[in-house]
Amino acid sequence: MRKYAVIYRSVLMENLQYAANIAMGFVSYFIINFVFVNLWEYMYGTPGELIAGYTKEQMIWYVMMTEMIWFGARSATIARQASMDIRGGNIAYMMNKPYYYPLYILAKYTGEWSVQMPMYVALALVMGMTMVGRLPHFRVITLPAIVLCTVFGVMINAIFKLCISLLAFWVEDASPFQWLYDKLILVVGTLFPVEIFPDGLQVLFKLTPIYTVCYGPAKLVVDFSTEKCVEILLAQIMYLAAGSVLMLWIYRKGVKKLYVNGG
Amino acid sequence: MSTAVKNQLRVCLLSVKYNIMKEMVNKVTFLTNILFMMLNNAAFIIQWSILFSLREDIGGYSMREVMLLWGLTASSFGLSRILFARVFTLHELIVSGKLDAYLVQPKNVLLSVMTSVTVTSAIGDFLYGIVLLCVFSFSIGRLFLFLLFTVTGALIITAFGLLVGSMSFWFVRTEMFGVHMFNCMISFATYPDGIFRGKARFLLYYIIPVGMAVYHPVHIMAAFDIGAFLWVLGYTVCIWAVAVCVFYRGLKRYSSSNLMEARI
Repeated sequence: MRKYAVIYRSVLMENLQYAANIAMGFVSYFIINFVFVNLWEYMYGTPGELIAGYTKEQMIWYVMMTEMIWFGARSATIARQASMDIRGGNIAYMMNKPYYYPLYILAKYTGEWSVQMPMYVALALVMGMTMVGRLPHFRVITLPAIVLCTVFGVMINAIFKLCISLLAFWVEDASPFQWLYDKLILVVGTLFPVEIFPDGLQVLFKLTPIYTVCYGPAKLVVDFSTEKCVEILLAQIMYLAAGSVLMLWIYRKGVKKLYVNGG
Repeated sequence: MSTAVKNQLRVCLLSVKYNIMKEMVNKVTFLTNILFMMLNNAAFIIQWSILFSLREDIGGYSMREVMLLWGLTASSFGLSRILFARVFTLHELIVSGKLDAYLVQPKNVLLSVMTSVTVTSAIGDFLYGIVLLCVFSFSIGRLFLFLLFTVTGALIITAFGLLVGSMSFWFVRTEMFGVHMFNCMISFATYPDGIFRGKARFLLYYIIPVGMAVYHPVHIMAAFDIGAFLWVLGYTVCIWAVAVCVFYRGLKRYSSSNLMEARI
């Protein structure tokens, strides 16, 4: 594991040098949240109204949290680099290096989001406090559970995105599959809480990674309960295990298909 | 004069045709890109169905009008990136000195640059807009207006992209600014203007041209207004005139990087 820690540390140090570049992404985060604040201000006609059990403040904080995870965890490494390495043939060199390629990508990715995420957390807090105000019933003591849940959520997302990128062993361009996965996570888990959907669909969504990637951590921020926290963490552990097995299986199958043209 | 214009247009169309043919070398990837982009856009129908189950109108729009808004946005952005995709990465050509290859050609520099790249997935965006119109609010008159406003929308979006991209003639690090402006346009263009108030509305109609590219045309398609129609056409001409002037003014400041490059 030491070699992955070294990869993580070197990427982390590199990204710290470019913190100002990361901060440029704040503009898009601000605009998206500005649109949603306006949308939910409009949707909540009367003060104190509840939609799917959420007050206006909770709903806006929920979107800010999910968007924070979305922006803080986005990276070209898992979505594009892995796919391009396979497509361009670079994988032939990388698989001979003294590391396991999927773990190398995950270590590199962790080094990236470790810098990005805290910056977006700070921005989300400033925006939330300024535009919505303090979140009612939030307790600081719940923070360790929320942080753990967020880290698990980000890792589950990374593993599933990497699985999609590894499809480049079979299809030339895996990005259309990435778009679809991203949109499902965005529309179902990011823009609304799962409770807003009809009961039948809620059961279905709880069985998908959507429940564990964005909904789980954001739900704990706006409406924490110990039962919910245990339920989400258990689901995350199951998804992490199943996703890791799937990722390794796809990679093993994929490298058997690989042939090198020389050059 | 007219022969020169005809020749120039022919070159532009051939350029786009060859871009698409190049993308079609791998037919499966080409079709997957188009189809999945349509599915990707369709995911947002879920979002709007949920929102309209909570309220009957959002910002003065019904579901049908929101779908028209989405359709026009998708088609306009799609057409812009089918014909003029290079505009959105213009900064890269300017900063790295890659404009040289276009400057030595006997045809118009700006048109040669703009039509040099086509984004395959944009075909999916363009088709998705037309499918939405056909499914949610089809009529012959509306189809005609929709296609016309798709062209004006694409021209406004491209002109705005050209203005932002041309900033690179004066400032080096403008690529992120361009990306944010583009994201900003998409984010605003897919939500009804009625939910924004005060300064935000001013911004959308006069600074970021979403109002002229999408909102006004949707209002005109819902209830035709000749004044607003001429206003959109006039704005399209004006923003293009400004964008072309800024590009050529900036081009005088361009310096080559002695980069050897061939366009095949």
